[in-house]
Amino acid sequence: MAADPDPLAASEALHARVREVIARGASTDVAFDTLALDIARFQACTVGPFGRLVRSRGLDLALARDAASIPAVPTDVFRLARVAAFPEALDVRVFRTSGTTAGARGEHPFRTLATYEAAALAWGAAHLWPDAPRLGGPARAIVLAPRSDALADSSLSFMIDAFVAHLGVEASWHVDVARQSLDVDALARACGRARADGAPCLLFGTSFAFVWAIDETSADLALPAGSRAMITGGFKGKTREVDEGELREGLARRFALAPDHVVGEYGMTEMSSQLYEPRLVAEAPRPDLYRAPPWVRVVAVDPTTLEPVAPGEEGIARIVDLANVDSAVAIQTADRVRVLPEGVELRGRLPGAVPRGCSLAIEELTSSADPIRR
Amino acid sequence: MSSVDPRAGAIDRVRRVLAVARRIADPGDPLGREARARLPVAAHLTAPGVELALTECLEREASDLDLASLAAHAGGAPRTWVVASANVCTAAARAIAFALATSPEVLVRPSRRDPVLAELVVRGLEEDLAFARLGASVRCTTALAPLPGDEVHAYGSDATMAAIEAALPAGVSFRGHGTGFGIAIVGDDDDLAVAARALAADVVPFDQRGCLSPRVVLLEDADRVERFAEALDRELTAWHLRVPRAPLDEGTLAELAAFAATFAAVGRVHEGEGHLVALAASLRALALPPASRAVLVVAVDPQEAARLLAPVAPLVAAIGGRGGTLLEVVAALCPGARRSALGRMQRPPLDGPVDLRGGSVVAPAAPT
Repeated sequence: MAADPDPLAASEALHARVREVIARGASTDVAFDTLALDIARFQACTVGPFGRLVRSRGLDLALARDAASIPAVPTDVFRLARVAAFPEALDVRVFRTSGTTAGARGEHPFRTLATYEAAALAWGAAHLWPDAPRLGGPARAIVLAPRSDALADSSLSFMIDAFVAHLGVEASWHVDVARQSLDVDALARACGRARADGAPCLLFGTSFAFVWAIDETSADLALPAGSRAMITGGFKGKTREVDEGELREGLARRFALAPDHVVGEYGMTEMSSQLYEPRLVAEAPRPDLYRAPPWVRVVAVDPTTLEPVAPGEEGIARIVDLANVDSAVAIQTADRVRVLPEGVELRGRLPGAVPRGCSLAIEELTSSADPIRR
Repeated sequence: MSSVDPRAGAIDRVRRVLAVARRIADPGDPLGREARARLPVAAHLTAPGVELALTECLEREASDLDLASLAAHAGGAPRTWVVASANVCTAAARAIAFALATSPEVLVRPSRRDPVLAELVVRGLEEDLAFARLGASVRCTTALAPLPGDEVHAYGSDATMAAIEAALPAGVSFRGHGTGFGIAIVGDDDDLAVAARALAADVVPFDQRGCLSPRVVLLEDADRVERFAEALDRELTAWHLRVPRAPLDEGTLAELAAFAATFAAVGRVHEGEGHLVALAASLRALALPPASRAVLVVAVDPQEAARLLAPVAPLVAAIGGRGGTLLEVVAALCPGARRSALGRMQRPPLDGPVDLRGGSVVAPAAPT
């Protein structure tokens, strides 16, 4: 495939097309496949690892007709090589995964964050404050994650800060990166101010940070009626693991949230978009399933063949994210899912091979060694 | 409890283990027949894989110098408990030998998954009049109940080691041998075909599931990576015809699929019916192939080796290679790792415990 003479211009044009889809909030299957393939053809010429993957499969993307033909880049590739359609000199931000025992972190470089931000805001608004017109909008944000300027390589912090800036609400951040600590006293004061305001509040955090908060303080953390929490991330490599149901229950109880106001988010450093539980979306038939935006397609594939499984069966998530214009439009995760007509059921991470005696398991080498989720 | 020096007669006791090992290696001996009947299922190896392990990797001989070294590595306790692991189906022999170098009384808790070698060695010693004349005893147990003054030698995953150590009463010495993997270095002066042949002989035993099994190969010269990978691919293909790899479980198959897809993007992959060789001209971080006769071949400049290996250096249990700057750099980064020539990584001399990273016995806390 011939390289585009001006890859930056080609990239800009693709970004613009993706942002149109985001702004419209809808896409047909045909339009999705067309745009996905155009991005894939661009990446085959500009993103080294993606180009190698295409060549190794003997694929001719010029002949491809749907996004299922696009080879998915395993997320581990982001740890081992640069996955970008542009040179390092153009990086405006590099999001990184948590550290691992192997000492390396996955990196997702960006030369523009406009598409990322547009995607995050559009789908976040639809799932975290869909009732904003009725409520008059949330009045305050309480963040159990580091600020983006304190942890510039965290995609989660960037997204939350984008929400805060977009909403123009008063916000407080309660995770100190340098001390790797949670300021529970300040958190309790912020909750107190929210109660005094009486207006609904947005609470953001990782599962681990919420457990931290619940464990470390007995102070009154109740929030006003209508407040809602966005919860994300797991516990891999953390000091304490908690059942998800137990955590949601504890979170709702401690922050006085309605149980259906605890909204799960699914995202990862290697993606530019997120999935949400539509718990606050009135017409959602299954509020417990995660919804992908119209610019993302999730397919469950067999972990051993990487071929799609039958509809509704469990597989690992292969994700086509159109907002990944300058990296890998299709990524292969190790997250187990069932893809149903109503949404995506998350079923945890694919367990590694059974650890056998003294042989080092891959899971031991790739487990998180970083207490703060990025 | 006797006040006799527990190390007295250590080498003689170890020699009796070697004698039993020779019986197990012999297909005509009842112990050898039983090993061959039970191990394919218990050790999850093909019959030729079991034969290879018993005839090539089971320790049957040792020089006086090696035995003296083994005894020097051993501590001294009136009684030693061995918690054996599965994976390397012959490992229990060395573990019991090392325990008998430590104590005249040894209790062995075999792996539930693969108890075969431990049971056969213990039975062979129980039947051995020469062993009995040494005043030593060894028996299998399902419990682990050491008393203050005893020593515990445990083999297995790091998590298992931590759990066992945490549960020991005060006054018990503990020597844990946790997880690890092997790295091979092909020097600039090495003949690629010869090195590939030797390395394949290190990869195949136990289907690569041992802590000494090489899973990563480093070369200095990026231009030689592809040729070495091709040569290794040919050798592993030939091995699979003689000694087929046992069927892989679903978890390993999934890890192998992910690893192959990753290296199709990062470098290149040669996949055979019973093996996989991945290669990369350079890497930002080390990736570990699943233990399934899968090898990563990567070029690394000696000055870059520290960056690549430092995070995993404590996990490197074995280094194979002939010499050269890169080998010396890697050896310096992993001072506890066993060093062997290529082709000898799975057949270390009986000169100490299999894993030399553990160093000395953890000093026991005072009894309370």
